[in-house]
This record gives sequence, C-alpha cells and structure tokens, in this order.
Amino acid sequence: MMALRRIDPVGLLVLPAVLYLGLVYGLPLLNLLARALVIDGVPSVAGFVKFFSDPFDWIVIGNTLRIAVLVTLLSLAIGFPTALALARARGAAQALILVAIILPLSVGVVVKAFAWQIVLRRDGVVSQALVALGLWDEPQRLLFTEAGLVIGAANVFVPFMILPIYSVVKLIDPRLGEAAATLGAAPGYRFFRVFLPLALPGIVSGIAFVFSMAVSMYVVPNLLIGDRFQTLATLTGRSFLLMRNEQLGSTTAVVLLVLAVSVVVASSALSRRFGGQS
Amino acid sequence: MTEAAARDPGFLSIAAAEKHFGPATVLDGVDLAVGRGEFVSLLGPSGCGKTTLLRIVAGLVRPDRGRVVLDGQELTRLPPHRRDIGVVFQNYALFPHLDVAGNVAFGLKARGADPAAIAATVARNLALVQMSAYADRSVKALSGGQQQRVAVARALAVGPKLLLLDEPFSALDRKLREAMQIDLKRILREVGTTAIFVTHDQDEALAMSDRIAVMARGRIEQLATPAEIYARPATPFALGFVGLSTRIPGTVQAAEAGLLTIATALGPIRARGHFLPGSAVLVGVRPERIALGSGAGDATGPAGPAGHNAIRAALADAIFKGARVQLLFAAPEGAEVQVEASSLPAGAAPGALLDLTWAVDDTLVYPAAEAGPQDLEAVA
Ligand SMILES: Nc1ncnc2c1ncn2[C@@H]1O[C@H](COP(=O)(O)OP(=O)(O)OP(=O)(O)O)[C@@H](O)[C@H]1O
Ligand SMILES: [Mg+2]
Repeated sequence: MMALRRIDPVGLLVLPAVLYLGLVYGLPLLNLLARALVIDGVPSVAGFVKFFSDPFDWIVIGNTLRIAVLVTLLSLAIGFPTALALARARGAAQALILVAIILPLSVGVVVKAFAWQIVLRRDGVVSQALVALGLWDEPQRLLFTEAGLVIGAANVFVPFMILPIYSVVKLIDPRLGEAAATLGAAPGYRFFRVFLPLALPGIVSGIAFVFSMAVSMYVVPNLLIGDRFQTLATLTGRSFLLMRNEQLGSTTAVVLLVLAVSVVVASSALSRRFGGQS
Repeated sequence: MTEAAARDPGFLSIAAAEKHFGPATVLDGVDLAVGRGEFVSLLGPSGCGKTTLLRIVAGLVRPDRGRVVLDGQELTRLPPHRRDIGVVFQNYALFPHLDVAGNVAFGLKARGADPAAIAATVARNLALVQMSAYADRSVKALSGGQQQRVAVARALAVGPKLLLLDEPFSALDRKLREAMQIDLKRILREVGTTAIFVTHDQDEALAMSDRIAVMARGRIEQLATPAEIYARPATPFALGFVGLSTRIPGTVQAAEAGLLTIATALGPIRARGHFLPGSAVLVGVRPERIALGSGAGDATGPAGPAGHNAIRAALADAIFKGARVQLLFAAPEGAEVQVEASSLPAGAAPGALLDLTWAVDDTLVYPAAEAGPQDLEAVA
C-alpha cells in the first residue's frame, strides 16, 4: 500500500503507451531475441558466432554504418543552415519554408524514391548539372550507386534533422549574440562559443533521429541501389522474406538494434554532457 | 559634472543621430555629449527611442544618419565587437550554458587574455559586485538582483571605455532597486567608468545621474543636472515628466520689462519671461514652492506678499504620501493644480477654498503650442 501511494497519479498517464509498446513492440522483440539465441530448443550464441565469422557480414555492417554516417552528415550539412534560416525567417517566408519541409513527409518514401530514380539517372538533373558546371566530363549514372543512395536518403530524412534543430535554435535569445559582441567577441567566436553550445541539444537529437532511421532504412536502398548492395536492414528483410532463414534474420536484426540503440543512447549522453540548456 | 568630465566634455559625442523604422521616425536628430567619467541618464516615456539610441551607440543598430565618436575615435561604421562599449541588457542576457565565473570571463577569453590574468580579473569583478560566493553557480539558479550584478561584472570585466545600461533595474522590486542604485553608483565611482543609463523612472534618474537627458518622441528635450531640470525644466514636457507640477494655461495680458501678467481661469498670474501680449502660454509651478493659506474668511480675494502670485482654488483630493501630503485642487479644463505640504492644513476638507501663493520668480512660463496633447498623455 505504501509503495502504491507514492506513485504520482500523473505518472499513470503513460500507462496506455507502456501497454501499447509492450504488446506490439516489446513482445515481438523478445520473440526475436529468443529466435536469435535459441537454436533447436537449446540456448546458444552459435548464430552470432557464425554471423561475425563471415567476412561478408562484416562488409554488410560496414555498408550499414558508412551509409548511415554519410546520410547523417549530409542531412546535417543541409539541415543545419536550413534550420537557422527557418528560425530567422518571419511571417510568410517562415510558413513557406515549414510547408516545404513538412509537405514532402506526407508524400511517402516510395513515391519519393521513385522520383529520385528519375533525378539520379544518367540523363537526370544531377548528372546534367554536374556536367554543366564542368565538374564531370560526361553524364554518369548516380542511380544504383552509394552516392545516389546517400543523396536520396538524406533527402528523405532531412526534415528530421531540420525540425529538432529549428525548435531549439528559435528559443535562443538573440540578445545573447549581441551581448557577446559587446564583450568583444568576433562573429566566429560568437558562433562557436555561444550559438553552437546552445544549439547542440537540437543538433544531437537531429543526429539521433536521422542516424537511427538511416541505419535501419529498408525501402530506400531497395529502390535506389538494389540487391547487390546489402545493409543490415535489407539483409534482415532478405533472410526472412527470400531465404526463409529466420535464424540469420533474427541475428542481423538484433545486431542492427544494438547498433541503433547504442548510438541514440550515446548521443543523448553527449547532449547532457555538453548541452547548455535542456 | 565631475572634474574629469569637465576636462573632457566630448568623450562620447553623438551628432544628429537619426533612425527610421519604416515610416516611423524613432530618432529625430539626437545630439548628446557625455564627459569622461560622467553618469548620464536617458529619461523618457516608453517608445521615445531610448533603447534605439543606446543600441546605436553600442553598434547593434545602424543609424540612418549621424555620427558617434568615443574618445576621439569615429565609431559610426565599427562593428560592436570592436567598439569597447559594455552593455547591461534589460533582461541581463547572461549566457545560460556558462556558470557565473564563465560569464564574467567571456569577454576576456574572447579577447585572448592569458588565463592567470583572466582568473584575477574575474575574481576582482565578482568581488566588486559582491558575488564572489557564487562563482561556480549556474546563472539559471540566480535571483533577478544577482543576475543583474553578474551582468554588471561581466560588462565591466573587459574594462570598457563606456558602459551602457538599459533599464537594468526595471525587473526588481522597489527595495532591491534602491539598494542596487546605491551599489551601482559605488561600483562606477570605484571603477571610474563613463556610463549612460536608460530609465523611465524619474526618481531613479534624479537620484543617480550627474546629468539627465529628457527624451520625448525621438528628441532630447533637455540635457542638464537633476537640480536644474527640476528647477528650470526647458519645455512643458520636461516640466510634466520630471516631478509633479501645477500647470495652468493662460494668455499674456501685459509685458513690461520682462514681467508678464497672464490672464488665467484662476485669476491673473505674474511671471518673468519674454512674450508678446496676446500669446497663449502655459504657466507652471513646482508644488513645494506653493504656500497654503485659508481663503475662507477673506472676501476680497486671494492676496499674497509683494512679489508673489496668489490664486484661490477648491480642494478636490488629498493624497497621503508618508512624509508629505499631495493636495489636488479643482481646476479648469487643461489645467492641473497641486500642492505638496508637510501636513494637511486645518479645515482642509474636500470642497474647502484655499489660497495658494508662490513667488513670481518661481513661476515658469512656456509657449502653449509646445504642450501637445501627446505630451500630457505620456505623462499620465
Ligand atoms: N527593430 C524595430 N523595428 C521596428 N520598430 C522598432 C524597432 N525597434 C524599435 N522600434 C520602435 O521604435 C520606437 C522606439 O523604441 P525604443 O525601444 O527605442 O523605445 P524605448 O524608449 O526604449 O521604450 P521603452 O521604455 O518601452 O523600452 C518604438 O515605437 C518601437 O516600436
Ligand atoms: Mg527600451
């Protein structure tokens, strides 16, 4: 009774979410873990040993991490300035940028990926632009290349970089920059010593969002690069759907889960350590 | 003015500063000279352009026209970080990601001072504002008055040539504000920094300033010592904005050798000044200059000693103010008659007729046209 009474009634509000997640997410996850760790009814790590001893699987892990990191970096490079512009814009301009960011989210990944197929073709816009700028000697196909995958995936995920950064940056008091200026800080110093530390929590959550989505994306690589290039997510899909190898599928899924969760946990720890406001 | 200020009266000089935001004229040609070591207040109603003028001096706003010169150096085109001007913002604008010492050290680090010197300067400035015990605290965990002190220490730590303060006490309660006023004066005296202080609180301006610049509608109406502004307000606006006053409109009837006789709804009033007969004027008197007499038994009308004005008016209200009583009298449209007395005179019930007398030399006269309705609204 005493223990019960100490529970904050407001805390009970999370109950529906806990039940829902527990049923549709927690239980299947346990099931997945069980399949990865139980072979023929006996607990065993043989599946993981086999997985990590195959050089091909290390290439898949490498592919997954490399693509996720590159997509995250490209999203950051595009998303950070956009978030600043969005935070500074007023009225109609701000509404327009917000719509431009949020509207594509409602289009759906498949449609967007098909659009990118057109853009990344040998005679597509990107190729033609690079030739016109003199960066390329002749048109090249970006579709079904890693570069094409990174460009396309960043396009899909960049709103999830922009929005958390924007929501933090718009709360930064502009007086702080002015105060720093009157104290003798040049623009670069103000950016790195005042603006960036205060924007960091937003940057970190943007990175966590985009990385965890990019590391586990399935549809986009399927449409933009195809079967020759495997990531942990596509390999998991193939194992279950094509090869009917539940053991391998569960193992890759667990590896992927551990990777994604550790990045999110590490980034939020970093944010707490360095973030000024939170 | 202090001695140093007298030696270098144009230490800061603002010439013909103008600023427009769209169609609105916010600063309409402001000239201001501040001496070295001087403490000058910008006093004026909300929206008259005080903050804008301060921001122009700091380099945070670019004037449309005009020049700013500090210590012989033209600043007009210089960015804020190269001006050597400290600012204490109204909301303090402390860096939330740094602790108290980190805030005070910020400017020194930005200027690349060496660590040992930074530590010593930070310690000295925290001691100056009596915040040494809080060096490691987060600025988010400080009270308003403590944040204010940190903001002052941070601005002073870099040793600016000029300190600008934009209503630094407006968020503090009355008691704390008065303590901070005394403290700030002490600190600035110790450091010898020249300061411009924005306020719309006349008591604060009168108490703290070497000189006060009374601002209205983007212009400086008067720049003078507190005593001079109080005794000889240059415009009806300054008269109305600084301190209490009796104000009565009238028409000049006769002008002889600088002595005016002015017809008003409350009877003739004499004053010294130069106006043509027939001019519409505004007569002003400070309330503590007026002596009260009982007008009840005297049927011939009010009369004062030689060289004095006398009017008779009906008491409308008495406001008790602790040490003094403020008496408000019934007055015709456009006039305001009030007297400050040390105590309520005998038989002074609302409706009672009293005689008000004051010296002709204490009577102020202004052209009536200058007192626009906006001015009186701003005062209210
Ligand atoms: N950036 C701006 N854009 C448009 N108008 C502005 C801007 N800054 C100030 N103003 C206008 O200029 C006028 C003067 O503003 P300012 O802040 O200088 O007044 P103030 O005397 O400091 O008033 P307060 O006592 O309320 O702080 C106001 O009418 C204000 O609306
Ligand atoms: Mg202001």
